[in-house]
Amino acid sequence: MSDTATKDQKTTPAVEMVSLTIDGRPISVKKGATVLDACRQENIPVPTFCWHPKLRSVGACRMCYVEIEKFPKLMVSCATEAMNDMVVLTDSEKCREGRKAIIEFILLDHPLDCPTCDKGGECDLQDNAFEYGLSDDTRFAFRKARKIRDKNSTFDDLQIGPEMVRNQNRCILCYKCVRANEEAFGEYDIGAYQRGHNTEIDAAPGGQVASLYSGNLVEICPVGALTSSDWRYKIRVWNTQTVPSIDPYHADGANLTLWKDATKVHRATSRMNDDTDDGWISDIARYGYQIATSERRIKAPLVNKNGAMVEVSWEEALGVISRRFKEVKESQGAPCLAGVVSPNLDLKTLHAFNKLFRGALGSNNVDYRSDYSNLPTDADSTYGFMASRSFSIDAVASSDVIFVVGSNLIREHPNVHLKTRRAIFEKLSWLYTANPIVTKSADCSTDEMIYNLGTDEVFLNGVTLSLIQQGLADKEVDTGKIETLLIPNTLEKCAETCGVSVERINECAKRLANSKSPTLIAGELVSNSIARENIAKSFYNVALLLGIVQGKRGQAAVLAKAANSKGAEALGLFPEISATQTATLKNQFQSFPELAGANWDAMLSGAQGEDIKAMLIFGANPVQTGADYNHIKKSLESLDFLVVADLKETPTTALADVVLPLSSFAEYDGSFTNLEGRTQDFCAGMKRIGASLPGYEALNRIAQSLGFSLYADLSSLQDEVSELLDSYNAPERKHFLMESHFQAPPAPQENSLPLFAGDALHHFGHWTEMCHSLLEFNPEAALEISADLASRLDIQTGDSVRVLCDRGDKGNKGEKLILKALVSDILEGDTLLASHNFAAKPVNCFTSRDSRVSYVRIEKIEKQ
Amino acid sequence: MAEHKLLLAHTDDPQHKTVAGYVANGGYRAWRKVLTSMTRDEVITEVKASGLRGRGGAGFPTGLKWSFVPKDSPKPRYLVCNADESEPGTCKDRVLLECDPQAVIEGMAIAAFSIGSHLAFNYIRGEFDYPIEVFEKAVEDAYDNGHLGKNIYGTGYDLDVVTHTGGGAYICGEETALLQSLAGHRGMSQMKPPFPAVEGLYGCPTVVNNVETLAVVPHLINNGGEWYKTFGTEKSAGTKLFSLTGHINSPGNYELEMGTSLRYLIEEMGGGIPEGRKIKAIIPGGASCPFMTADQIDTPLDYEAIADAGSMLGSGACIILDERTDIVWATYKLIKFFKHESCGKCTPCREGTKWLTQLVERILNGEGEESDIDKIDNICHNILGRTICPLGDAAAMPVISVIQRFRQDFVDRIKAKDVLPMEQFSFN
Ligand SMILES: Cc1cc2nc3c(=O)[nH]c(=O)nc-3n(C[C@H](O)[C@H](O)[C@H](O)COP(=O)(O)O)c2cc1C
Ligand code: SF4
Ligand code: FES
Repeated sequence: MSDTATKDQKTTPAVEMVSLTIDGRPISVKKGATVLDACRQENIPVPTFCWHPKLRSVGACRMCYVEIEKFPKLMVSCATEAMNDMVVLTDSEKCREGRKAIIEFILLDHPLDCPTCDKGGECDLQDNAFEYGLSDDTRFAFRKARKIRDKNSTFDDLQIGPEMVRNQNRCILCYKCVRANEEAFGEYDIGAYQRGHNTEIDAAPGGQVASLYSGNLVEICPVGALTSSDWRYKIRVWNTQTVPSIDPYHADGANLTLWKDATKVHRATSRMNDDTDDGWISDIARYGYQIATSERRIKAPLVNKNGAMVEVSWEEALGVISRRFKEVKESQGAPCLAGVVSPNLDLKTLHAFNKLFRGALGSNNVDYRSDYSNLPTDADSTYGFMASRSFSIDAVASSDVIFVVGSNLIREHPNVHLKTRRAIFEKLSWLYTANPIVTKSADCSTDEMIYNLGTDEVFLNGVTLSLIQQGLADKEVDTGKIETLLIPNTLEKCAETCGVSVERINECAKRLANSKSPTLIAGELVSNSIARENIAKSFYNVALLLGIVQGKRGQAAVLAKAANSKGAEALGLFPEISATQTATLKNQFQSFPELAGANWDAMLSGAQGEDIKAMLIFGANPVQTGADYNHIKKSLESLDFLVVADLKETPTTALADVVLPLSSFAEYDGSFTNLEGRTQDFCAGMKRIGASLPGYEALNRIAQSLGFSLYADLSSLQDEVSELLDSYNAPERKHFLMESHFQAPPAPQENSLPLFAGDALHHFGHWTEMCHSLLEFNPEAALEISADLASRLDIQTGDSVRVLCDRGDKGNKGEKLILKALVSDILEGDTLLASHNFAAKPVNCFTSRDSRVSYVRIEKIEKQ
Repeated sequence: MAEHKLLLAHTDDPQHKTVAGYVANGGYRAWRKVLTSMTRDEVITEVKASGLRGRGGAGFPTGLKWSFVPKDSPKPRYLVCNADESEPGTCKDRVLLECDPQAVIEGMAIAAFSIGSHLAFNYIRGEFDYPIEVFEKAVEDAYDNGHLGKNIYGTGYDLDVVTHTGGGAYICGEETALLQSLAGHRGMSQMKPPFPAVEGLYGCPTVVNNVETLAVVPHLINNGGEWYKTFGTEKSAGTKLFSLTGHINSPGNYELEMGTSLRYLIEEMGGGIPEGRKIKAIIPGGASCPFMTADQIDTPLDYEAIADAGSMLGSGACIILDERTDIVWATYKLIKFFKHESCGKCTPCREGTKWLTQLVERILNGEGEESDIDKIDNICHNILGRTICPLGDAAAMPVISVIQRFRQDFVDRIKAKDVLPMEQFSFN
């Protein structure tokens, strides 16, 4: 696998260039670039406040003045297009005088509270005032205006969001926060109020600044007007150092900078990378570093002694593990050992895990997909094929048609979501979203098609049939037998079953067929569905008819969910690996088990039978986040021996005989492979917490206790990883239309409501519960409910709601939980979303391994 | 040159507001002629030939502006009538909206046709309760009589006119801010380029014209561009409305041929200054124009001559200040207005107007220092030409002119250190 993703191969026309002279230097820039762009390209310093590389220039602050020959006025370089033969001066007397006047204007009412301002040391105003504002005498004669929080208060600071504090006195009204929120994120929760000199930046009336991207607004504020509650007064910025890091949660691979001192990491900020993130990061990536410093971390190994978990040394814990693993292996054979690893761990750890099981213990029972059920068992599944397609995040921004199916995109891929917005606003691209629920993408979609629950493949088959009927399918694909391949097999029947009209399907198909560079995305609602293979086939058919899988244009993929899912796929952390992967691993591991392995589903049923006896769960928490709480719990309870390694105690560690403490991504050097197959390194920002170890080291200690060694030194482990990544080829296949038969799910019982379990807006998986900043946004497990349903049931945000499982006579019947209602302004209809991020509320007790849609009943609990 | 009533010809006829009355006076002939017998280019050529220049303040040639709308753009186009009239002293558009709304509608329709627009907006100042009521009724009337709507006069051309009322911001008269406001955003001016003709309302080609500009258009079609040129001067063709206010015996709206002298407006139309007092200063074109002095009273009222005299014709709002006027106080009133109306987007305008207000207020309060005068002048020059839209210039220019022409008044005021109660200086 190459470390950069394949960009879509468009022939770039020769770029038209413009030549101009800046400060006597001849410079050539792309046509359309601004004078400021030209200066930046040549590292000629020009001060700015309101300019941002990813936002439209508005020319508000007027700090970036330059002098241009033949123009009588000073020009704002950020909003003046570079033209041929322009003669520009950036540091003339007139420029400096103009900039000085601006600094003087800004300082007129700006408080001189730098000593107590959190921005001190990284403030654009401090820097620019130092460079341009100095003069011997002040012309100010008036008291500075002071804007206080409200009439009844003497405080300047106002909390306008869960993590955002505003000090209006310091605001220089560059409007970057408001502009970024609208332009880049499509959010309207911060705005400018009042007029002129009285303008204030504030949360929208009655609300808070609480979008998934809110932290970016603080980051781009040039002064200390917006500060983050997390960082305020923690440390002065000049006492910190930075290290590069990567979003450890999402598969997007947004680039981060960690700010640390000798003791610990204090914050994370973006580190602009146009390929993945454009410098915007989700709040989860921003505040997620707090898993490193959380009080809830496990600090020492724990061993179950007579029913109580007791802190022990690594030696003692390893002694127990090696003794029990050996016992099981000797008495029952290696295939009774199984391992499950989290795709949020780094590449070295994943590989060491594979090596421990396959190379040292001799078991092929490894998997990284414990969040999902009904996994494909054959190596050339269509799901696997579509999940391994190459994909470029940045190419999304230049796609002319984007088609998203079965994905709550903003929650699964916050950065891909922003790229779709960029495509729409910069390229006027078309976005078609097809989902069983309304998502945030709705507000920028050309058409948001809501199909009936559990009819994902029917909708896709509708698109397939429409492409064929309209004569828009790729001519080289044989569509002759289509009637026999699909059920239902006419467009009309598909439309009727999925609930999206023929006209809308036709329109979408037409637009896709006419697209030059389409992007097709399938998300978690597909990969998490038990019908995933069937849906994947339908998705494949559409991509085939558009010529995408044959490489003729565009891109299509089922997107990987976690930071390193793609790495786990390339390193082969699942039983159904390809022959090439097997060959490379065999070569690296010396010994390799012959017997085919059990995947996660098979491990669970094997544990309830006689096949699986001991298990190592590494960083994963299936009891909380896997489908079907009871089934998973029962399986793990049936084991003879269970070891769980994690950062924190979880419902899964609660079942363990031994618990091992893992270090977080901020405590060691490692790398993740993002959903594009781009491998990016992250660096340690602090010492490891307590006795915790990075995964690879913990695994090597386990191996050593069993008489093996996984690596002599880390570079040899790294070399093996690189070899696997380099030699990994996504599966290829002969292309022909696949069969996709739809079976209608059983009708739900009366009064029951469909429910999806997944991530809350500000959480990801089970670790973010440790991040106090994210708890400010989503403090507990919520039941998201549409405004319409809420009003019918007389439920308001914050009400307690009893949720009861409704599965006829099957497994989880009778399960109930009390959740806090959260009335969503996005959801529509009856579908509920429950957050699976909180150990106290295992909402997966409502989900099942054998039906596509889970149904529950809900009752409001009346306050006493 | 003297008074000539083209636009104000029927202000005394209450029936003229209705379609019936308007048609009886020859109305809607031009619109019918355009739709049945003219091409878009022919309309634009006629308007260009007339030499008509925008009456909203900037005096930009109207036909030329229309011709900037791209012919090949796949986007819809919009015509917007600017009826946000909020400049202190200006009240001419109001009279047209109240007394001749059908002419405004007809002008809007012809302008819309010339740029291929099927949707025209009238953005009316929010405080204009009565003009809004009259105009909305007039639009309804025009629809009812087939002058607006679908398939007008059976030619297949559709046109809708929508009235939008502002929220009471002077800045929303500036065209880019107006379009922001019309689209539902905060009314703040935008950098140009892109110009509205290329990227305006909702990012689509848009022409913004002043009420008076549009009201002239039917006359051009009926009588021809060349006919219009027979009025006024070579470069400033036609007639123009002047709103005469201040220390004057008969304030009001007067329509003069361009090039008529200021003296004619003041003495013949306005009946001179009360009690025969002397003139101290004249603001010829609205609050944003530099002050002129009494000795410039013979300046002709056309774009060029007024510019040569160091001021601007602007919107034609002529404010007379007599010899009793405290110039410092007048400056204060002006700058305070601009401070209050600055949209707050760009630094020099937002901060500069506030600072100037503070300084002039301090002088008024008898606490000024002589160095304040140069400071004020310098601050004005840090605003002038450095802002996004002309509001900054509008604030700076009159103040600069005052300091230049009435510096001694400031010096005296500062030296005297007296605090005079403000009420004493109200206009009478
Ligand atoms: C601060 C400011 C306020 C303005 N107010 C108005 C107004 O109230 N009415 C108007 O017609 N033009 C106003 N203008 C001028 C408009 O921006 C624009 O030039 C005019 O509407 C164009 O129409 P015209 O070409 O017919 O004159 C204003 C300009 C500025 C800078
Ligand atoms: S709060 Fe910060 S980013 Fe927003 S306008 Fe003020 S200075 Fe600019
Ligand atoms: S950076 Fe150019 S005007 Fe603000």
